Amino acid sequence: MCRAGKAKRAHLHPLQVGAVQVGTALRAFAHPTLLAFLILVAPALAQTAPSSPPPPRQHISIGYVEIEGDPRYEPVRAYERLILKTRDHPFAGAQIGIDEAAPLVRVLNAEFALERITVKSPAEVAPAVTQALETRGIRFFLIDAPAAAFKPLAAAARGRDVLLFNVSAEDDALRRDLCAREFVHVIPSLAMRMDALMQYLASRKWRDILVFEGPLPADAETVRAFTRSAQKFGARIVADQHFKAGTDPREREQNNPALLSAIRGNYDVVFVADDAFDFARQVPYHTVLPRPVVGSIDLEPVAWHWTWEHNGAPQVNSRFGKKSGGRRMESADWAAWVAVKMVVQATLRTRSADFAKQREFILGDAGFDGDKGLPISVRPWDHQVRQAVLLAAPYMVVASAPLEGFLHRTNELDTLGDDEPETACHMNR
Amino acid sequence: MPILRLLLAPFCIVVFAAAPSTAGWAKDTGLVFVSNEKTNNLIVIDPKTYKVVKDLKTSRRPRDMHFSADHTKLYVACGDDDVIDIIDVAKLEVVGKLSTGSSPETFGIDESRRRIYVSNEEGSSLSVIDMDQNIIVQEVPTGAEPEGVFVSEDGHFVYVTSEVGDLVHLIDADAGNVVQDVVVGTRPRRFAATPDGKELWVSAELSGEVYIIDREKFTVEGKIEFLPPGMRKTDVTPVDLRITRDGKTAYVTLGHAAHVAVVDVPSRKIQGYILVGKRSWGLGMSRDEKTLYVANGFGDDVTVIDLKTRKATVSIPVGRIPWGVVIDD
Repeated sequence: MCRAGKAKRAHLHPLQVGAVQVGTALRAFAHPTLLAFLILVAPALAQTAPSSPPPPRQHISIGYVEIEGDPRYEPVRAYERLILKTRDHPFAGAQIGIDEAAPLVRVLNAEFALERITVKSPAEVAPAVTQALETRGIRFFLIDAPAAAFKPLAAAARGRDVLLFNVSAEDDALRRDLCAREFVHVIPSLAMRMDALMQYLASRKWRDILVFEGPLPADAETVRAFTRSAQKFGARIVADQHFKAGTDPREREQNNPALLSAIRGNYDVVFVADDAFDFARQVPYHTVLPRPVVGSIDLEPVAWHWTWEHNGAPQVNSRFGKKSGGRRMESADWAAWVAVKMVVQATLRTRSADFAKQREFILGDAGFDGDKGLPISVRPWDHQVRQAVLLAAPYMVVASAPLEGFLHRTNELDTLGDDEPETACHMNR
Repeated sequence: MPILRLLLAPFCIVVFAAAPSTAGWAKDTGLVFVSNEKTNNLIVIDPKTYKVVKDLKTSRRPRDMHFSADHTKLYVACGDDDVIDIIDVAKLEVVGKLSTGSSPETFGIDESRRRIYVSNEEGSSLSVIDMDQNIIVQEVPTGAEPEGVFVSEDGHFVYVTSEVGDLVHLIDADAGNVVQDVVVGTRPRRFAATPDGKELWVSAELSGEVYIIDREKFTVEGKIEFLPPGMRKTDVTPVDLRITRDGKTAYVTLGHAAHVAVVDVPSRKIQGYILVGKRSWGLGMSRDEKTLYVANGFGDDVTVIDLKTRKATVSIPVGRIPWGVVIDD
């Protein structure tokens, strides 16, 4: 009612205290000779000089660095022609974040774009980032690379004005030992995922656990993290059985889930650590005792799942599906989406394309909407994004951790992974 | 609850058999309608007995509901079938459908122009529907996940929230485009306007606030933060809100905090919190402003609040994931 006579007037400045007069703004964007400065400091200016030319549109590029032929995205196969899981780089996750920012162009006079940088090996990640920073002025990067790429990257980025979002490496060592302030670890750490799973088991009082451990270094790492979680939440590992996939009858004590699970004494649940996934899929229904299987199969702690139906998740899944040609959104996709959102929100909330302000906002205590309930934010001690972890069965998110009853003095999300007193990384001190 | 419904089923028949004059129930029945997202129905409740008088099947995923001005029709947005069902209030049955965009969530009606403005959650747009011709006459692009819709009293402007964009769009209803945006808190959901037409209140679910927009300037001029005793800020997820006709009191559902906040509108001070059920979202207020109904999404029930004592008096089981409440009075 009150707007009726007003909106037709065209003299509102495009950046007048947070509101945008679109007609004016659009004309301004088309103007080729406008000066390249300030988007967002304009409110004050708008009042003193309403007739000054509107500022030009700002472009904020976000680098997306990936490795060609990254084995983490190879399909998981039983045989060449029997594909169990298809996997892909989380680029589409980043893309939906960019798409969502499109309407903000009217408010911010800024638009966001992704620059996809594909390198050939983990060692080439750091030089590629340095080059994009120095030649194109890109300051935000999504790093889609395994842990091996991060040490040289930390050295190259140290003390520079960049923020590197880790979207796919869950290794705890990157948070605890590398401990670099240029990183923001968006993907949950292994410790967070294991704590989430353990909270669920503890909440069901399934405290006696039989562990099946695979031969890969990643499997040993997983069991180490799981053991630590078991101690933290008062569970007991009754046996740690090392398996070896195969059918050799001479090695049946190691390759047969029934024999592996025929231990003295009882257990409530079987935890499988099998990065190769070949053995894990043989465990359900093959144990001697009828027990649920968790870990690498059946009940997996993940950052995201396609069946999550709360907090706006169905809409995100649907946007992602359209963007990716029907792929189901997974954890790394979620992390890439959130990383872009953080940059967009920082620009929106600080009204600034100034890197220092944006970084301060991202690392500050403002909450971001990760579509997983409690607002997510960056832990000041190790730059891990605190977030809920979903306990996903194949067709259902069974629970979301932190589980009810796991309390924390400041933020329940910090019951997952390395809380401040538990880590050696203290960037905030 | 299915058992309860079975028990009530014969009762419904009795009610209708004993009331041949149901066709005369055009107005002021006082009946309470609750939309249920997962059971694809409206549960219709008698406000005197709190008994369910009708389990009204709708298209899939019914959410927002609005009466026509004369209360003979009830319009219900059904998100999974991309339609607005039209319900004959006297007969309590679906008598027609309007086609919408993808996944309609909330809407506003402008009766004088025979238009419905509906936000399409999946389509990132506001559809403008001609109610008589049943056609979408315009599709206005919005930020991602548009939700709350408020039509200005003179019908010239439509306000829409974008849950993902953290924006409120001001849309010129005649031109069919966004003329201004204003940035509010995280995940903005619904609107309530003060009766003097000066302020528009917007709930921001994730940041746990209500933003107050000056409609004249179209700028944010204040916000209210909520914190029921014993809760953490992150528990507070406001969604629906109502302001009384005298412009003095506002009621805000706080979602996961399981309370309704009572706000003194002129001072913007919180006067108290009323305990309700889990994930309280939709609100309905009786015309005499004595009773408030709250849909508890994770409790599958509706809490009835006596506004004089500001106490919850009873909770009524309804369908699965109740979304909203409207009252025929």
